[in-house]
Amino acid sequence: MSMVERILFWMAIIVLIIGIFGMKADISNLEKQLQQTVQASSEGGEE
Amino acid sequence: MNPKIERLIYISVIVVLSFVLLSFGKKDIQLRKQIPVTAEELYKKLGNPKINLQVIDVRPYEVSEEEEDEAEETDYYTGVHIPGAIPFPDCDESKTPEEALPQINPYLPTVIVSKDGDPEIFKKCAEKFPFAQNLKGGMVAWDEEGYPEDEGEYTPPSAGGGGGCL
Repeated sequence: MSMVERILFWMAIIVLIIGIFGMKADISNLEKQLQQTVQASSEGGEE
Repeated sequence: MNPKIERLIYISVIVVLSFVLLSFGKKDIQLRKQIPVTAEELYKKLGNPKINLQVIDVRPYEVSEEEEDEAEETDYYTGVHIPGAIPFPDCDESKTPEEALPQINPYLPTVIVSKDGDPEIFKKCAEKFPFAQNLKGGMVAWDEEGYPEDEGEYTPPSAGGGGGCL
């Protein structure tokens, strides 16, 4: 396997890892928002 | 190491990572569907030409003359609607004006506008739009916030027209 091929594989792996971390951060942010929305709507329902 | 085995290892790592990324993507879409967008957020998004967003109005398109006096303007599309919103009453093609049908793109990020943000109608529409979000409070909330509105029949955008609609 050539060095160029190896570098391309590593680049793909790194891009995917960065994508996964980005997506994970986005998901945890959305989960927080969802929690806040649920909390707000349940508080609104109690009033 | 045998080059074939090394290549196979790299490819399997890439496949596994791609699956993880895909599953995260699916989860992200599902979470977004559960979080309604507020009128203020929608207004900001519509004002940003970089954001490609489709607004689908699922209220009745118009009301009969007898009902017009009793109905509020926020009850139906021709009464009042968000500028650029595409009418798609009850998410039913048979109730939709012909000129609006070709404008509906199920694969665009979409905001569903009902009268009051009814989650039931949103659920029904979310099956047709994979990237849909509900407008919290619906058209009533948009109207109360005093954001720009259009009234009258739907006119499709002219070819070549672009930019934000607000």
